[in-house]
Amino acid sequence: MSTKFMVLSIDGVPYGLMERMFNDGTMPNLAAIAKANRFSAMKSVQPTVSSVAWASYATGVNPGIHSNYGFIDREPGTWGLQFPNNATMTADHIWQKLSAKGKRVFGMNVPSTYPPKPINGVLIGGFLAPNVDKAVFPSNESEYLKSIDYQLDSDAALARQDKRAMLANLDYTLDKRFEALFHYLDREEWDFFHTHVMGSDRINHFLWGKMEDNDPEFAPAFFKFYNRIDNYIGQLLEKIGDDVPLMVFSDHGFCRIKYEVQLSRWMVENGWTKTAAEVRHPLSIDPSGTKAYCLIPGRVFVNVQGREPGGIVSPEDYQSVRYELIKQLMEMKDPEGNQVMDKVIMKEDIYWPEDQPGAAVMNPVKVATHPGPFGRAADLIAVPKDGYDLKLGIAGNEVFVKTELEGMHTYPDAFMVARGIELDEELEITNLAGPIMNKVLS
Amino acid sequence: MDRLDALEAQSIYIIREAYYHYKNVALLWSIGKDSTTLAWLTRKAFFGKVPFKALHIDTSYKFPEMYRFRDEYSKKWGFDLVVSRNEEAIAAGMSNEKKLDCCNALKTEGLKQAIAKHGFEALLLGIRRDEHGVRAKERFFSPRNEEFKWNYQDQPPELWDQYKNQAEEKTHIRVHPLLGWTELDIWEYIKRENIPITELYFSKEGKRFRSIGCVPCCSPIESNASNVDEIIYELKHTNTSERAGRAQDKEDTFTMQKLRALGYM
Repeated sequence: MSTKFMVLSIDGVPYGLMERMFNDGTMPNLAAIAKANRFSAMKSVQPTVSSVAWASYATGVNPGIHSNYGFIDREPGTWGLQFPNNATMTADHIWQKLSAKGKRVFGMNVPSTYPPKPINGVLIGGFLAPNVDKAVFPSNESEYLKSIDYQLDSDAALARQDKRAMLANLDYTLDKRFEALFHYLDREEWDFFHTHVMGSDRINHFLWGKMEDNDPEFAPAFFKFYNRIDNYIGQLLEKIGDDVPLMVFSDHGFCRIKYEVQLSRWMVENGWTKTAAEVRHPLSIDPSGTKAYCLIPGRVFVNVQGREPGGIVSPEDYQSVRYELIKQLMEMKDPEGNQVMDKVIMKEDIYWPEDQPGAAVMNPVKVATHPGPFGRAADLIAVPKDGYDLKLGIAGNEVFVKTELEGMHTYPDAFMVARGIELDEELEITNLAGPIMNKVLS
Repeated sequence: MDRLDALEAQSIYIIREAYYHYKNVALLWSIGKDSTTLAWLTRKAFFGKVPFKALHIDTSYKFPEMYRFRDEYSKKWGFDLVVSRNEEAIAAGMSNEKKLDCCNALKTEGLKQAIAKHGFEALLLGIRRDEHGVRAKERFFSPRNEEFKWNYQDQPPELWDQYKNQAEEKTHIRVHPLLGWTELDIWEYIKRENIPITELYFSKEGKRFRSIGCVPCCSPIESNASNVDEIIYELKHTNTSERAGRAQDKEDTFTMQKLRALGYM
């Protein structure tokens, strides 16, 4: 069986790490493709999290149009939490668009594709899909997946408890992913075939520091996992041959964590956010005493009157509140006196509504009160310097903490290996869907 | 020992532990089925005479049936009843449009005032783990700090019945003897013990309340269950959640656990 277009995405692998692994022989199969074709760095999205990155990749549009700004969000009109996923998305993704053109498509484990929408092909959800039955379209595919003990996702809770158990679990999850990949690849002819590997992001989160420090046990284990991925890439390349257009890429880079920054706590300590009497979740705030609050990572919202329930900042005061927040955020220092923030972005500089493509030029009162998906964006996006991972921690005791997490996401250095497809000189993950569509439909 | 006996024994043990460890305990009685069951168990724990105060936080918006029930049974059961009202907020008038503010002022502030006035160190509450996703993180003994904040990310582990009942100063402890009970357990126990319960739970003209609180924020469900047996039958044959309209609770809990493990929450 032949496939017309192949995508393999490997979550959270930075360009620099990939370059190192091409040179030291950890990933020889992918290195050969990279050498003969294209290998570049690629920009991610803001905020730099997988849900937003993959939603942007799949729809090819700005978050101001597709609505996914992070793993958690405000439930519209309340102070409840919402978990954005494919059901809350306000733009069609590439599997839907290609299906509409009669193409046969396959997607497996790509974040933000759960719950699956009907397509012409097979779509298998991943991270945050609760079980195989719910994760799969069409639903009868779940029988095969259960028969091989397919793993939707590795067990992140395990990673916090036992690193060796985590590694075994990552291997098993990867093996099952490729077992399913080869099954579907052999089964029929596909116009578009995209499989995602999430384990790389997990191993980076939990072992990045040990890798950098050449830990005698876990640094070799780290590279062994990547070598396992490359072995599968070798098998895949052999199956599809030399002529099929191919993209292998990540959605963001990684670097070592110096501090996790409990930004919600900082907002409370600095008088921006007043917590509710009982803190049950990250939005347990008292709106009557809250000028601004935040969600992970670094998404700062002004409590605008008429937009937020019980909002107290008038749209006329919106811009001055934002300026004051930017000033204070930029002045924030870690316990050693180092600056924490790299920059703070105003939402209209990177997000835009559907009717105003490109950065939106709007007066601030309009920005403050704009409805729709653009209106759901954070008013400011705080971008930290490398090493400062912005978290929540509204009920935490300290702003700067350290946990089992060793690595954090970075914006400028995802990677791309591509053959047989023309891409922009400057790569951004949001701009891939167009060239892929053109290629598949050509 | 059947399930109800085991639940009863565990709850009574926790109630007695709380009384043993804290000088000033109060039973928080909201007049609903859970806290009334808790009141019943507390009476059993001390052979009919509760040795501490019962506390009702009165928002002034409760159903008339609840006030009647409170006064009747408080007297019958010999409770040393404290009714706490945030008079200032009630006088200022709270609006139903701002539910969070309203609950905050009338319930939480009312409770704070009562704690300040009476110096309660521990409160017995009738919450259950199956009520709502976040309550799965509760413990039998859950400390609240001075500002009343409950840090759900930092709860003491309770393993093998080693309850953590020591707390730092300036906190009060919330004790949850009913944590392991389900809604159905409560009704089966009410039936077994013949516990009196307000008539709001029983169907009138095809509707009944499944959980009760303040009038403006409660709506009845469609039901013909007009006695305890019929309610038990109904619960065994329905899938809707006690807090109907929140059908996403279970999946959200799964999502939250996943995100928490990765530090995204």
